[in-house]
Amino acid sequence: MEHANKSDVLRQGVIVFVFLALLTALEFFVAVQIGATVLLALIAFVKVGLVMYYYMHIYRLNLQDQDLDRHSDQYKLGTSRIGLWLFLLSDAFIFGGLFVSRFNLLGLGPLPLSPDSQFIAVTITSVLLLSSFFMNRAEVSMEHGDRRGFIVGISLTILLGLAFLAGVVVVEWPSAISAGVTPSSNAAGAVFFVMTGMHAFHVLTGVIFLSIVLRNGSRGLYSAEKHWAVESAAVYWHFVDVVWIFFYPALYLIGKLI
Amino acid sequence: MKKILTSALVRGLLWQFTGWIVGALFLTGIRVLMGLNAFATGGYFFTEPAWVFGALVGALSYVGSTGAMTDWFRWAKGEEVPEHREDPPGWEKYLNVSLDHKVIGVQYTATALFLLCVGGIFALIFRTELAHSGLQFLTLQEYNTFMSLHGIVMIVGILLGVAGLMNYLTPMLIGAQDMAFPRLNAFSYWVAPPAAILLLSTLVFGGFDTGWTGYPPLSERAPLGMQMFFLGVAVAGWASILGGLNLLATVLRMRAKGMTAFRMPIFVWAAIATSLISTTATQLIGLSFQMVMFQRLFGMGFFDSDKGGNPILFQHLFWFYSHPAVYVFVLPGLGIISELVPVFVRKPLFGYRFVAMSSLGIALVGFLVWAHHMFVSGMNPYLRIPFMFSTLLVAVPTGVKFFSWIATIWKGKIEMPTPMLFVVGGIVVFLLGGLSGPPNATVATDLHLQNTYWIVGHFHDTMFGGYIFPFFASIYYWFPKVTGRKMDERLGKLHFWMMTPSFLALTLLMMRVGLLGMRRRVADYDPALGFDNYHLVMTIGAYLIALSVLIFLYNLVVSIKRGEAAAGNVWNSRSPEWQVPSPMPVHNYDRPFEVIGEPYDYGLPGSVYVKFDDKKSKSH
Amino acid sequence: MRHYVIAGVLVIVLAVATYAGLMGIHLMPVEASAQSIPIDHLWNIEIAIISFLFALIMVPLIYSLIVFRRRKGDASDGEHIEGNNTLEITWTVIPLITVLVLAYIGTYTLGDVLAVDPSALEINVTARQWSWQFNYPQGFSSKELHLPVNRQVVLDMESTDVIHSFWVPQFRIKQDVLPGRITTYRITPILIGNYTVMCAQLCGTSHSYMTAPVIVSSQADYDTWIQTQVAAAAAAAQTPLGRGQQLVAQNGCTSCHSIDGSSTGIAPTWKGLYQSQVKLNNGTTVTADEAYLTESIVNPSAKIVNGFQDNVMPKTFGTTLTQSQISDIVTYIESLK
Repeated sequence: MEHANKSDVLRQGVIVFVFLALLTALEFFVAVQIGATVLLALIAFVKVGLVMYYYMHIYRLNLQDQDLDRHSDQYKLGTSRIGLWLFLLSDAFIFGGLFVSRFNLLGLGPLPLSPDSQFIAVTITSVLLLSSFFMNRAEVSMEHGDRRGFIVGISLTILLGLAFLAGVVVVEWPSAISAGVTPSSNAAGAVFFVMTGMHAFHVLTGVIFLSIVLRNGSRGLYSAEKHWAVESAAVYWHFVDVVWIFFYPALYLIGKLI
Repeated sequence: MKKILTSALVRGLLWQFTGWIVGALFLTGIRVLMGLNAFATGGYFFTEPAWVFGALVGALSYVGSTGAMTDWFRWAKGEEVPEHREDPPGWEKYLNVSLDHKVIGVQYTATALFLLCVGGIFALIFRTELAHSGLQFLTLQEYNTFMSLHGIVMIVGILLGVAGLMNYLTPMLIGAQDMAFPRLNAFSYWVAPPAAILLLSTLVFGGFDTGWTGYPPLSERAPLGMQMFFLGVAVAGWASILGGLNLLATVLRMRAKGMTAFRMPIFVWAAIATSLISTTATQLIGLSFQMVMFQRLFGMGFFDSDKGGNPILFQHLFWFYSHPAVYVFVLPGLGIISELVPVFVRKPLFGYRFVAMSSLGIALVGFLVWAHHMFVSGMNPYLRIPFMFSTLLVAVPTGVKFFSWIATIWKGKIEMPTPMLFVVGGIVVFLLGGLSGPPNATVATDLHLQNTYWIVGHFHDTMFGGYIFPFFASIYYWFPKVTGRKMDERLGKLHFWMMTPSFLALTLLMMRVGLLGMRRRVADYDPALGFDNYHLVMTIGAYLIALSVLIFLYNLVVSIKRGEAAAGNVWNSRSPEWQVPSPMPVHNYDRPFEVIGEPYDYGLPGSVYVKFDDKKSKSH
Repeated sequence: MRHYVIAGVLVIVLAVATYAGLMGIHLMPVEASAQSIPIDHLWNIEIAIISFLFALIMVPLIYSLIVFRRRKGDASDGEHIEGNNTLEITWTVIPLITVLVLAYIGTYTLGDVLAVDPSALEINVTARQWSWQFNYPQGFSSKELHLPVNRQVVLDMESTDVIHSFWVPQFRIKQDVLPGRITTYRITPILIGNYTVMCAQLCGTSHSYMTAPVIVSSQADYDTWIQTQVAAAAAAAQTPLGRGQQLVAQNGCTSCHSIDGSSTGIAPTWKGLYQSQVKLNNGTTVTADEAYLTESIVNPSAKIVNGFQDNVMPKTFGTTLTQSQISDIVTYIESLK
């Protein structure tokens, strides 16, 4: 296992976050000024690539551990990684199906959401991206044996996750409903609520997962050598962020040309 | 008796029932707080949302009460959990949570056999009604429910049987002690009984009248049983998804030394291809059903044209899974055929690499053909030609398998005990299924064939040939490995010779009447069509099939205690599991083995497939 | 070598016999539409391919099981033949070419089947649980589909409730009928006769019985029928009773309510209903007067007759029918003593 300098890795996390933030701003600009769906898709793929490489470290699937003892912790870690990514692949199909449904039902047109909704959406998107930033910091801290850094990072992640949930359920949904977009109003309403709802459900399960990891981490159950629970919670959390990277433009940005 | 009543299987039933009611009460309470009506007017006392929420809570209560999730909760609490767990001796381990893939495989197989019998009984009921035109004893609604349940119960039975084969065999075939994630494996099994209960509960909730395909708008206005169907399928789907995930991780990570990709037993390739589909595509049937459930519960208009929805969207989402699903049903069975033919003809599997690749090819192309179920649906007409091309392409890798089997059998030294009878039967029946495919693929002919008994004949042939016959072959073949005894040969032959001609008559007549105007999913048909005699023969065939299955079940049960002893390599197979005693040792291979030759080198003097390491011995 | 020759000959024999046998038992119904001809032509090509492939697999299989059966006392293994790449490529490429050719034939066959005649006769079709209604351009509705022979007809079809499907086996083509959109069905009948259109998409309880007569007649007979229908519609439109009878036919009421006293199991019969005593599912008894009949049409859930179900009768008649139309229907029901 590489033991890169902790502050180097943390700095890398900051740089990635800055790129993600800039790309999100670019996305918003493209949506309202240019209106090119293809560009929005491209930006989304770049954001996803950054998250999957730097935060989810997908390259760790290139295990190269065939010569290890099959019963060693290190080998089993590799097997668990494969299991987790297969799970995410499977879960991705649900979101893929919802994504396709949005375009089948509504074409490339916008959802009938209010300007308030746009502001709320940009806010909660930023909150979620920030939460991924802190999740990355938490995981890197744990990798380098910094328990305090881990606790701070994961606590902030949980708080931001809860903020995201509140933003969706307590702020955005009532706002949409008062604009006439309800689950039963029409196909657009149904799509909006099922997509934000399914995603929020995954954020909720992520928050529960992270809370368990926080509790166990505070009691000293994890170490730099052995912290699969932290790694898997982090990867799952970033996956939920990846889904939103696609859902946010699909729900809010496409067709919103001014 | 006490052991049965306190087993996880039975305990779970009580917990499911309790959880169902508690969940329904809970949601009713929430409704009251929200100012909505607490109870339903007419019918089932609780409202539909209450019953649905209760059903979900009930299913989770079943699984939770078995103990299949206990270790995970303990890990979450930060407790140490021993990695391995020994099962108690005796049969009670089959009724409780075990982490041993062999026990889980038997549990899956037994549950599958149970569901196949239940589904078969439903078929006998409505086949009796159909034997003569006019309605004799079923109402139209009863027919629709039995016919719909027959479909989904059989499908879930096949999925569980597939899981049984893959879970029991794969670790043994690759030299592993167990699957990669044993607790996940146990959990995957234990969601199946509550799912089955949900499906069967439709009978008391007014049934459902849409067929297993559940198309809206009809499914939106179907009785409450429709929701139990949707939820039951979703829960059963978890087993398929998680089981597939487990299998892929196992094959990638736990193969014996020297077992390179093209030195794996061919069944493992089939299992890989199957699992690639089941891990991914299954989510789409869950999603499509969830969307109809939400349409019913929350008025979400996905498929309601009055609200700007699109009923054809449902069909796209549904068939995106349900077509690849049929390859989940048949790829393992076809893998079994490839696995067993060399053993009984004492010749290498012809073109092993091509056969391995053909399983992957079928799985891949299988993802690209779904809309051939929708040629007459009113979907975008420009989609029809591309899907015709992709559908016809599936014939190519399928043909590779057939030609390989024939080339393997040709000039072999052939013996035909019961397992081989069912293998050959599978080849013949699947041939008919496959040959009746291309007319469905070419759109113009499909315009006539769609929704007729021709299609029913086509898929019964493919299902029996691709799954049921190889499934029976597997049970007769591996029974000694599980129990240390053989099943009775004469009863096995009787089973085969009673089932096969009856089944061929049944499906060939289905195709005949379908072409001449017999629609599918009808409770009654016009006597002027002249189909009465055909239907009578079909019903007689169905009863003969049922009788043959009874003979099989009798054979199975009696042989467990009184079968001829068979502790060694009964079939003289090169496969690793037959190089160790029967019943299979608890940890499979106390001495690990290394692969030093090809799996199917029959006829090559001195060739050995696996070599056991006499020095090392695994102690646990 | 001789094995290959014998098997080869047997393959040809079985293929020809299978093909002849299948062609000889008249698998398909009579060809009653112009579209059925290219479809059956493609079908026959497929039967030939199927017959050949059937023989190609079955003969070597059965031959082997007999000829290469292990002899008593012979405990040796078979020949160690692992494969043959040339053969593999051959039996991958040839089927690939075959399916591509078949797909090509399928493409132009579909083109033939869907060929549009711009002067086609247009008829509207409404499908509902569980009856068919045919609305002619001359302004009348019929429960029977009459068509002139040798003329292309395009049916514009829509459902009022769930997905149905329009199928006449002798015509071959079927097409699903959806709510909220129109699907089209083009057919050119070429054989005078009586056929049946059957719903081919499971649509609920009475799916089995959702059929209607299709009568293909000469142009002259067809024109006569049209004139008769137009006249009858005009005459019926003069009286409330006649209008009511037309509306009942148009809205498919009798697919659930019989008018001769027989029991459909789905809805109460109308014969003798007016002014009778009706027992409801809540135990009370009411008189089936005019107000009751009217309410039963616009608000079917208000009173459910004992032994029948709620949520079966469509609830939209209150909006799709005018008050005078409803009154006409009630007049008609009252007349059924």
